[in-house]
Amino acid sequence: MLKQTEGSKAVAEAIALCRPEVICAYPISPQTHIVEALGEMVKSGELTPCEFINVESEFAAMSVAIGSSAAGARSYTATASQGLLFMVEAVYNAAGLGLPIVMTVANRAIGAPINIWNDHSDSLSQRDSGWMQLFAETNQEAVDLHIQAFRLAEELSMPVMVCMDGFILTHAFERVDIPSQEQVDSYLPPFDPRQVLDPAEPVSIGAMVGPEAFMEVKYLAHAKQMQALGLIQQLASEFRTTFGRDSGGLVRTYRADDAETMVVAMGSVLGTIKDTVDEMRDEGHKIGVLGITSYRPFPQREVRAALQNCKRFVVLEKSLAVGMGGIAATDVRMAVTGSGLKGFTAIAGLGGRAIPKASLHRLFREVEQEDLAPVTFLDLDRDAVNKQLEREKQTRRSGPIAENILYDKGISSTAKFG
Amino acid sequence: MSSKPFAITLKPGTSLANLTGTWRTARPQYVDRLPPCNHACPAGENIQGWLFHAESGDYEQAWRVLTISNPLPAVMGRVCYHPCETACNRGQLDEAVGINSVERFLGDEAIKRDWKFDAPAAASGKKVLVVGAGPSGLSAAYHLARMGHRVEIQEAGPLAGGMMRFGIPKYRLPREVLDAEVQRILDLGVTLKLNSKVVNIEQSMQQGGFDAAFLAVGAHIGKRTFIPAGDATKIVDAVSVLRSMEGEDKPMLGRRVVVYGGGNTAIDVARTAKRLGATEAIIVYRRTREKMPAHDFEVEEALQEGVLIKWLSTIKQAGEGEITVEKMALDEKGFPQPTGEFETLAADSVVLALGQDVDLSLLDGLSGLEIKDGTVQVAANMMTGHPGIFAGGDMVPSERTVTVGVGHGKKAARNIDAWLRGIAYEPGPKHEIATFDKLNPWYYSDADKTVRPMLDIIRRQTSFDEVQGGLDETNALFEARRCLSCGNCFECDNCYGVCPDNAVIKLGPGKRFEFNYDYCKGCGLCVVECPCGAIKMVPEDI
Repeated sequence: MLKQTEGSKAVAEAIALCRPEVICAYPISPQTHIVEALGEMVKSGELTPCEFINVESEFAAMSVAIGSSAAGARSYTATASQGLLFMVEAVYNAAGLGLPIVMTVANRAIGAPINIWNDHSDSLSQRDSGWMQLFAETNQEAVDLHIQAFRLAEELSMPVMVCMDGFILTHAFERVDIPSQEQVDSYLPPFDPRQVLDPAEPVSIGAMVGPEAFMEVKYLAHAKQMQALGLIQQLASEFRTTFGRDSGGLVRTYRADDAETMVVAMGSVLGTIKDTVDEMRDEGHKIGVLGITSYRPFPQREVRAALQNCKRFVVLEKSLAVGMGGIAATDVRMAVTGSGLKGFTAIAGLGGRAIPKASLHRLFREVEQEDLAPVTFLDLDRDAVNKQLEREKQTRRSGPIAENILYDKGISSTAKFG
Repeated sequence: MSSKPFAITLKPGTSLANLTGTWRTARPQYVDRLPPCNHACPAGENIQGWLFHAESGDYEQAWRVLTISNPLPAVMGRVCYHPCETACNRGQLDEAVGINSVERFLGDEAIKRDWKFDAPAAASGKKVLVVGAGPSGLSAAYHLARMGHRVEIQEAGPLAGGMMRFGIPKYRLPREVLDAEVQRILDLGVTLKLNSKVVNIEQSMQQGGFDAAFLAVGAHIGKRTFIPAGDATKIVDAVSVLRSMEGEDKPMLGRRVVVYGGGNTAIDVARTAKRLGATEAIIVYRRTREKMPAHDFEVEEALQEGVLIKWLSTIKQAGEGEITVEKMALDEKGFPQPTGEFETLAADSVVLALGQDVDLSLLDGLSGLEIKDGTVQVAANMMTGHPGIFAGGDMVPSERTVTVGVGHGKKAARNIDAWLRGIAYEPGPKHEIATFDKLNPWYYSDADKTVRPMLDIIRRQTSFDEVQGGLDETNALFEARRCLSCGNCFECDNCYGVCPDNAVIKLGPGKRFEFNYDYCKGCGLCVVECPCGAIKMVPEDI
């Protein structure tokens, strides 16, 4: 059913349609509206049978999800940013134990300085945790990916994160087609756990395993993600059959056929990129787009295939590997190893910094001319940075960086730092 | 082999292959520490032990554990100054457990339900003479009888009880309570001979064929002081006044009574005078309230009843119908010094309450004895310098209370028993005291002390009815349950619950726990989280 609704509300409705049996979550912006809506649905009886468990922290949220999933219940949680970091130990355990938990990550920056706005630092920090990570471009895709995520997770018995940009998607009202219960039921069968707990046949789950078997367990997780590369495509195709629209999959290209310059990105920024590309196409630029939906497993073959006919590409990403450059860019470049393609990395939108079309126009033209550094920072205020570096050179006790920069930009009052 | 996830789902107990106990540098150990109440009890009662049974409502068992040490709980629950409550750790939390009131409840229940002591052990064939039927003598007789010895008490007075009857007023200790507890001791087969003053101990022992003797003569002789007095003034001593309260003829003290002294006896006699109809009962004491040896709560009760106290005063002279007192002032060392200021007080009689002496004439000519400051010196085993003759209570140097007397009786009985069998009594090793810092009081819920009812003030001034009431079954149970069980496991399951290694093994109700040292890593959580301090860490030898 078509609706004009908030992204969080739409995702909550999609989760409810997936008939989760246990939801446990701790509120954190910008995830809050999702779990609030689910809490209301459980309380009102709209979502039943389902246990909504209030927990005291994100660590507890994931721990409860581990327990309930191991007990055979379809389990869901959601978090963001510091909350994800707080649950990290349990995040790894969920993957290591092969428990098909689905978690929404409402992507948000990581402090310090504390910041509640969107970038991809949080989920990318869990790149190697063993969880699959699917990135939504729109609220419609966020809805659809969650439905696919439960099937993906349960068929492989591995956990899946569905990543949607905080605020930009979670808090945006737009048109979303919420599927019917019958549609979802026909696509997503009831959870059939890989193992069931039986008091008559006790087992230990996750007990200590030494060097004799540990590596094999890790390899098996890798093997499962390799299997997922095929399964994700199959699930997207089945989804199209049932729901009548394209959603999910590994990668998606846009106006890429004869493109000499390709822009690679993940998440909602693909919308702005496509608008910019449309405008540039109108001006005759041969430019196209590669959107990556499945960040983990990383679809090396599909990325390489999508880029092999261009001359150059830029990976625009909302994350930064400090001391190195891009995070997603590293994977993309790995995928095209040996192709001779010229690749650039553009770090953009950290901590919610706006990514306007004008800036993209400028960046893409520089990429076309190959007239930029291998790693570039979109709309970085060089003056502010240089002033601070200068200050630090001159005074050992140069004061707090964030406040100094705000001062340089004329944003804060002098009273704040004397 | 298994259809389960590889190396993730394992058979139960696979972790047991790793003996993580080898990582330990210190190990927890269950210990029993000595609760401060037990430590403080002059009668050596296992207070925590009997409170434990009272907490589960098994009052008979509680009484049986209590009477292992003390055969007079109904008496003690009334007249003991309960040093146990002063020592009680709960006092640092809210208020001390009302041990004394629970003890009284158990004593009263035993009388009400006619509980009897277990029959004595097999007869030893030995015969012991106990001189004096006061608290110490009765206690010794009881313990010796339970050990299987034949006991005869020879008492100079007309009734059993000693100072409990002739020194403590009825309003503090009703006589039917005393009679009931004495009778229960006699029911064990103890012979009591009244009006039988022992004049010569050796002779009495020889005549009766006794193998040993326990001397427990009370301090019944009131100390005198010289007060210049006219013929018309009535000067009596407190012990005599209190003793005559038990006879047919009540003492005639007049309407205005002055009591001279500052001990508990002075308070008792002043309160007695008030009850006998004195319009004025004035205590004259040479020092201040802080220095007064009487227990403060008794001073308070006396003041409530209208007894007046003249602090910092001495009696200089007693004339007809009046006395002269001199005001005193404390010097730098706290001693009272005369000031030369005098005043007169109206007085029909003066009662001297200046302390008591023991009549030691029965020991005349006995070899090996050492007598110092009016008391008989005894060794650690309560034996005098004369082999086979033991002594306790007011006769030996110590605090003169009923509880101390009962304690002496118990201790002497154990040593007499050992001596009769030709061995030495070895008390068990004393455990370390469970001080407040060993506890984790966070775990105990708030529970205010139960206050015992007090008799209405008018009835207190006009009758000898008992002043302090007792607890009933519901609040006695509540009071018993306030016990923190300092230093001894009460099976709360905390250690069992908090152990991250499942290294605490529960042995079942009443059997406590033990550690599985194969897996205990020595983290010490159990020690920190034990509410009552019953676990300690000891270093491993590495």
